[in-house]
Amino acid sequence: MAFALWPEYTIVLGIFATMLAIMIGSRERTIVGYWLALAALVASAIVTTVDWSSRVLPVSLFHQGVTVDAFSLVVDGLVLLAAVGALLIGWNDRRYGTDFPILLLVALLGMMVLGMANNFIVLFLGIELLSLPLYILAASHSPGVSGEAGLKYLLLGAFSSGILLFGLALLYGSSGTMVFTQLDPATMILPLAGAGLALTVVGLVFKLGIVPFHMWVPDVYEGSPMPVTTYMAFGTKVGAAAILLRFLFFGFSLSVDWWGPAIGYLAVLTMIVGNLLALAQKDLKRLLAYSGIANAGYVLVGIASHNMSGARALLFYLLVYGLAILAAFAILTFVAGERDSVSLNDLTGLVYRSPWLAAFLTIAMLSLAGIPLTGGFVGKFYLLQAAIYAGQPGLAIGLVVGAMVGLAAYVRPLQRAFAKPSGSESIEPIRWPIAGAIVLIVCVAGTIGLGVYPGPVVHIVNHSAAFYWLK
Amino acid sequence: MIAFGILAIVALIGGIGVIVARQPVHSALFLIVNIVALAIFYIILSAEFLAAAQVIVYAGAIMVLFLFVVTLLTAGKDDEEAGEELSGQRITAGVLAILAGGGLAVVGVLYPSQRIQLGLPQNFGNLRGMGDVLWGPDFVYLAAVALMLLTAAVGIMVLNRPPRKKADPEARLKERES
Repeated sequence: MAFALWPEYTIVLGIFATMLAIMIGSRERTIVGYWLALAALVASAIVTTVDWSSRVLPVSLFHQGVTVDAFSLVVDGLVLLAAVGALLIGWNDRRYGTDFPILLLVALLGMMVLGMANNFIVLFLGIELLSLPLYILAASHSPGVSGEAGLKYLLLGAFSSGILLFGLALLYGSSGTMVFTQLDPATMILPLAGAGLALTVVGLVFKLGIVPFHMWVPDVYEGSPMPVTTYMAFGTKVGAAAILLRFLFFGFSLSVDWWGPAIGYLAVLTMIVGNLLALAQKDLKRLLAYSGIANAGYVLVGIASHNMSGARALLFYLLVYGLAILAAFAILTFVAGERDSVSLNDLTGLVYRSPWLAAFLTIAMLSLAGIPLTGGFVGKFYLLQAAIYAGQPGLAIGLVVGAMVGLAAYVRPLQRAFAKPSGSESIEPIRWPIAGAIVLIVCVAGTIGLGVYPGPVVHIVNHSAAFYWLK
Repeated sequence: MIAFGILAIVALIGGIGVIVARQPVHSALFLIVNIVALAIFYIILSAEFLAAAQVIVYAGAIMVLFLFVVTLLTAGKDDEEAGEELSGQRITAGVLAILAGGGLAVVGVLYPSQRIQLGLPQNFGNLRGMGDVLWGPDFVYLAAVALMLLTAAVGIMVLNRPPRKKADPEARLKERES
């Protein structure tokens, strides 16, 4: 029995308990599943915290299949935050059915597995455990747009899984081992290993939504139910970024010149193209989807700089991005009400309908844009610092240009929200469901808190990303 | 090497046939060709159990199910395909796919992987060997796959749930129109 895996065991127990409760309980009382899932998430978060504070050395389990260390525990914490946020935003909403909590927990398990994977099998299992429930969730709402989103996600996801698997097979053929930390670039058969590495990275950045492989993101985000989109925008990106960092830093740390430049170019391309495309969007879900693409580009900067500051900045940025995106989606859910989409026009005059919502939207958007006194600024600052330390000014310039374009994209919804209503919009007051309001207030407080006093969190990520072979 | 070449060509013909064939039934039959060719590959690699499982499970069970579904769903329907939205998409994709596949094949043939020829572990490829691995050191992976299959079962229930009575007005309007 491996005690290091208690956060994951708690989630597995939660999955079974939720399933049984829904099976036994009557059709009407769907809320039991939500409460059980929330209990499992909170228990897992407590266990993760205890484990993080008491863990001194990394633990390797299952013949080095997984490595539990401070990094994997911080990833656990991030994805738990994403799951709690998504669960509360969709709390007991009849539209999403009774199975939403189960599938959410299974996807969470996949993300946690990705955070600690140390061999090819675990990597692939994590990707599939994460994807399968999300395919179903994306299609779960209604057969129309949502079905299209689910099918698109399924087909492209299966295709990228195939590419990933092909790459892993080539890597195994050229190195003879499946364990990341045993991969030795010096003894690999180079062209074969190069092809394998390229295909594997393509498969992973597809999940992350990096620019040449980003086509599916806006359609899937637009068609999925709002809490599912929230979950994909935060949780999936954390999982994919964590596994990409582990795979490249653990397996190919000695041969940075094989992958460093490629990841760097992808990062710059993604930051600029993602923000440019966000400028033209009228639907807010699509805008946030392109914002998610651009933010995945910022995250790649942390990987491309390949130093300890990069790994720290990546973890910190994922947290501030997640808080801002959770807050933004909570607001969208309130504004959407019974519908499942929000256009820019729906926001017109928001400040007259609900001044607090408009204020919170401002904070979330400014954090995504990276304005001082919000967490987004501190996150971008650390990424910039990592790129400069790594001696890669190109990355830093790309980041700044991307952020400037992004600012314009994020100001457009704000401009609408503070515009005078023309009279044709609905003026009914906006309902605040309690669960969603908790998410919103906590996330906004966190965004401001991280912008003003980031010290404690910086301490945690510094400790967690301190891989000894990095400078 | 000769056996490999012949099998590779057969497998490729099967794979290309699946996407080129006009009738869905023909596609399914081509897929069987591909699956059987892969099974013989497994035998060459001395993975006998995997080969048997491939034939029994895929060619035997799944493909028969496929054929049933295809015959039931497409009986008496014409097989006109929808037009492409972007012209020249197929040709571009085909050329790129051939270039990528050819490049990978060249790399694979010029630089064969040598680590694998170190000899086989005991009981490799037969039922006992598979069982020893799956129920021994790799049991946790099996458990994860079991959880994945459970999720798939949940997914089938979710996606086949009858539509709610109080659907959104737009969908109902569309239903009425059709």
